[in-house]
Amino acid sequence: MTRLTLDNTAIVVDSTCDPPPGYFERPGLAMVPLKVHFGDETFRDGVDLTPGEFFARLASSPVLPTTSQPTVGEFTSVYRALTADYEHVLAFHLASTMSGTYQASLTAAQPFAGVEVFDTHTVSATICLLVDRLRARLADGITADEAHDYIAHFVRNNHMLFQVPTLEYLRRGGRIGKAQSMVGDVFGIRPLITVDDGELVAYAKVRGERRALEAMSAMLGARSAPDDAVKLITWSADADDKLPALEAALLALRPKSEVLFHGRVGAIVGTHGGPGVFAFAMIVE
Amino acid sequence: MSARGHVLEVLAGASTALGLERDYINDLNVYPVPDGDTGTNLFLTMQAVIDEVEGVAADDLGGLMAVVIRGSLMGARGNSGVILSQIVRGACESIAAARAFDSVAADAAYRAVRQPVEGTMLSVIRAMADAAAATPETISLPALLTTVSTAGAEAVEHTIDQLEALRRAGVVDAGGYGLLVLLRGAVAGFLRAETGSVAAAAVTADGSDRRRGRASRHVAGIPADDIEESRYRYCTSFLLLGDDLDHDDLERFIGTQGDCALVVGGEGMLKVHVHTDHPGAVLSYASTHGTIDDIEVADMREQTRARQRRLRLDQRVACVAVAAGEGNKSLFRELGCEAVIDGGQSMNPSAAELVAAVESLDAAEVVVLPNNGNVVLTAEQAATMCDRKVAVVASTSLPAGLSAMVAFDTDSGAAANAAAMDEVLARVHSAEITHAVRDSEIDGTPVRQGEVIGLVDGHLAASGDDLVLVFGDVVRKLGSGGAELITILTALNGCGVTVADLERTAAEACATECPLVEFLFQEGGQPLYPILIGAE
Repeated sequence: MTRLTLDNTAIVVDSTCDPPPGYFERPGLAMVPLKVHFGDETFRDGVDLTPGEFFARLASSPVLPTTSQPTVGEFTSVYRALTADYEHVLAFHLASTMSGTYQASLTAAQPFAGVEVFDTHTVSATICLLVDRLRARLADGITADEAHDYIAHFVRNNHMLFQVPTLEYLRRGGRIGKAQSMVGDVFGIRPLITVDDGELVAYAKVRGERRALEAMSAMLGARSAPDDAVKLITWSADADDKLPALEAALLALRPKSEVLFHGRVGAIVGTHGGPGVFAFAMIVE
Repeated sequence: MSARGHVLEVLAGASTALGLERDYINDLNVYPVPDGDTGTNLFLTMQAVIDEVEGVAADDLGGLMAVVIRGSLMGARGNSGVILSQIVRGACESIAAARAFDSVAADAAYRAVRQPVEGTMLSVIRAMADAAAATPETISLPALLTTVSTAGAEAVEHTIDQLEALRRAGVVDAGGYGLLVLLRGAVAGFLRAETGSVAAAAVTADGSDRRRGRASRHVAGIPADDIEESRYRYCTSFLLLGDDLDHDDLERFIGTQGDCALVVGGEGMLKVHVHTDHPGAVLSYASTHGTIDDIEVADMREQTRARQRRLRLDQRVACVAVAAGEGNKSLFRELGCEAVIDGGQSMNPSAAELVAAVESLDAAEVVVLPNNGNVVLTAEQAATMCDRKVAVVASTSLPAGLSAMVAFDTDSGAAANAAAMDEVLARVHSAEITHAVRDSEIDGTPVRQGEVIGLVDGHLAASGDDLVLVFGDVVRKLGSGGAELITILTALNGCGVTVADLERTAAEACATECPLVEFLFQEGGQPLYPILIGAE
């Protein structure tokens, strides 16, 4: 049985994986954009509109943006191109509970024997962390079973935590899930939201910046052992100034861990989460 | 009274009792699938029996029993309904053969279930049958019925220890409890037919009292979720009519299509029940054996959700706070407090006002935050007068009450909320800055009328002529005392001081000794106190 390697395996994501700049512009990687609409104007997330441009527009636009998923045809053309050059194509999408993107990709993949489509049950740069860790394994070559096992392990065991300055955007977009009853940004509360099996869930209700940061590192503490070399990423929606303190708190708690890269919230996640969101994701391998 | 009249009274008694308890039995239903329909299924099964008996003219006991058996089989709904139909069959066959009520009913029910599980209606009917068999032959009928009913009640209580799913959910078995309700109702109907309405009324009253006691005990603990759903999605049942129906072959096939499989009946009619993902496959296989009738396919996932929604609403917890000042009142509301009553220093609300506020809420449990030392006792008194569970959290200041309110969690009960809120109160320090109303001595320090005084947890911490300076002293004291977050509720009208003045003073006061303290200023609008402070 052939092993999956970086040479014979391509990875496809959608733009809700909020990657670092340029991440998917390398060979064997493809990102299919979702679209964001400001009134009659339509932009492909990350293609026609960078995250910075999006948040500038969000701040000044009189209309609130809406989003739409890629079409089946858009996925089909990506799969057609990649299956010509790669034996295996693995596609990773945001939770099917949040968007029809996974379904569109799955439909497009049907005619292609080598394409496998995964529902990551999560959203944003956590998907990018999965891709990154999987690629580290593809670099050495792994069997298909090993790849499946790792993906399943990641989907089951990753954790992420968002600090959201206001719940207004989540409420408006109807994406607030089980965090519905959470109290928003009143009385100094910093809403902390996690994702559990594809649904947003209120994690904790804490007041003040310092305590919110403590609660974030407490999640890392609760879900890893002191000696674990936890793989971490941090990212934000136009609020990277929040990340150094967060990383310092995380690394102080788990000194053997490392922060692999910084994602960036793009137009789609930004439409539903609003500006100022910052987050970390973790996986114990 | 004719045999027919007797039978109809017994059936009506059973059906009425089930009708009364139907919703409660539905809420108990967590096993085998938490789809919340056991009460409805048992009730409708009994209704079908009544319809069948009313539709025939037979007036001999043997003939009537055959009609009851047939009616329960045809009308059986859901897992519990089908098992009930077998209990009814066993019981009716005993009665028709003029045998004592013995193990026939229990045996029939056990036989129908492919993998009998204890802690269900099977255990309850078995306990009833055993109790009946153990009585002396000379026992009077009322005494026998009492014995059987008592044994049934004990068996119902025991189910919670027999089945892990019930233990985790903290409920007794819905089907077992439904069977007990049915028996008690049937007994009441029987006595009504035998002895007239007076005795029957006494029995009914007794039954409904027990019901209330039991209901309040078990319902309060029924959790809305955390229950394993069925592996299969559709509860499928139908009647199969035909000559030479191959019971065993059908049972074998049905068993491969899902769980909770039941194939019962005989003589040209089988009732089939199964939880499956493929109702179509089951139906098409069965249709090769005979004619299908009365098909029912229920989506158990949807039923499970509906049960959860219902229970969440029943168990909703809400909060009542006593507060003064528009800003403070709206903060309580924004933090999820549904009723805020005016009150505080020198304007205490009455117990009656608190009771009215609690009872105006559409919630099973209520947490009350008095937010003033003088209101705590009134709130505790009001709590004993309310028609529902009320927990008083003894908050003695507005800022402490607001901090406690942050811990309020609509997913927990009043007691759990009160415990979490008490924990917050234990680490919040309250301070207040106001003007002395007369010359006096506080904690050994003389103060003049009109002088600005700053109290921390009720003790004089600073005093002077300048509000801002006293404020700075109080904040420094709180910050160097270990506070991380200081909340300032302001009501500065007429003080000649702005929030910006206070912000600057607070930052300066903590700059050297406690630079990490965070400040939150909120317009509180309370009377008498230009500044209220919470520190945690």
